[in-house]
Amino acid sequence: MQNPVLMQRLLDSVTTIPTLPTVIEKITRLLQNPQTSAEEVGKVITTDQAIASKVLKLVNSAFYGFPGKISTITHAIVILGFSTVKNIVLTASIFDFYKKKGGSFTGFDMEKFWVHSIACGAAAQAIARHVGHSDKEECFIGGLIHDMGKIIMCQYLPQEFGAVITRVAEKKCLFIEAEQELFGITHQEIGSTVAERWNLPRNLQDVVRYHHNPTASREYSATAGIIHSADIFIRALDHGFGGDYGIPTMNEQTWTQLGFPSVSLSALLDAIDEEIDKAQALLSLV
Amino acid sequence: MKKIPVDHITDGMVLAKEVHGKSGNVLLSKGLALNSFLGRRLKNWEIACVFIEGEDDSPEQKNETKVSPQEVREHLEQKFGTRLQSSIMKQIFTAVYQHKTSEGAA
Repeated sequence: MQNPVLMQRLLDSVTTIPTLPTVIEKITRLLQNPQTSAEEVGKVITTDQAIASKVLKLVNSAFYGFPGKISTITHAIVILGFSTVKNIVLTASIFDFYKKKGGSFTGFDMEKFWVHSIACGAAAQAIARHVGHSDKEECFIGGLIHDMGKIIMCQYLPQEFGAVITRVAEKKCLFIEAEQELFGITHQEIGSTVAERWNLPRNLQDVVRYHHNPTASREYSATAGIIHSADIFIRALDHGFGGDYGIPTMNEQTWTQLGFPSVSLSALLDAIDEEIDKAQALLSLV
Repeated sequence: MKKIPVDHITDGMVLAKEVHGKSGNVLLSKGLALNSFLGRRLKNWEIACVFIEGEDDSPEQKNETKVSPQEVREHLEQKFGTRLQSSIMKQIFTAVYQHKTSEGAA
């Protein structure tokens, strides 16, 4: 059921959502210039102390493999490279956003939702490695934020969110199926509208918008497809809770496009487990 | 493997999983032999529980970690539901089933 009035109201209400810190925008702009130095980026990050300290915490976590050795942002950039640090800044900001106001909704376990998001990121990274996709780190962030629309609903559209949760419980359907039935608009549109306002990179916007139908993405169907499959694998493996108890159907085109038929699924599942174990350490930083 | 509170650590117990600090760094690595001194250190680091090698003797955890292959299959069948009609989903189902049951046997 498509309901244009309701859809407009939902989309209007998300315009009140706070933007990501300006530091992200500044960094994205700086990184477009090949002449930018590590010091310049370091300086921008350091202007936001909250972000800077989170970045250092993340950089020094076991996840990035340099525990306890990096004490300045510039050092982090030199060792890890621009794009990794940019991704860490993004991760830190997303953590902050998720943490705000969350967990207030009865019947929705925010902690488990976190596990779902982080596991999806970790699994996406493992899949990217297995299928030879170049953007492993962006896949991690993609997994982390793919369901950001649900958080936004939970925080800013609690009534609609509650209706979806109730429908899921009654019909034992997927979260997205309940949304489609009730509103004709889903967490994919809500999330990607906000992702767009935040000026997140286009591939991440597409992950949020198309993780249930990855082939609809024109340019980033592979990245969206990796998140789509990561979501399916981690649900099957029982990692966390994304709002329902089912498993979406794997998109056949994505399955072939990513080369899954020639991948050893058992090796992939081992790699996913391993990557999730590593990422668990991130949970303690939230 | 079993999970125990750090207060219950005695000499000679072996860590089955690495211990991470609050910032995510590795404090103690897997395979390390524990002793009461390390137990106190862990407490100072505000670590509540650790995983050690050995048989799990708490019935509550037994239910959680040792599920029979039959139960795994039923749980997955319920979760996958009608999606098992898709041949790809069937492949995923089989891989996850084997993964979960071989994990339990290890």
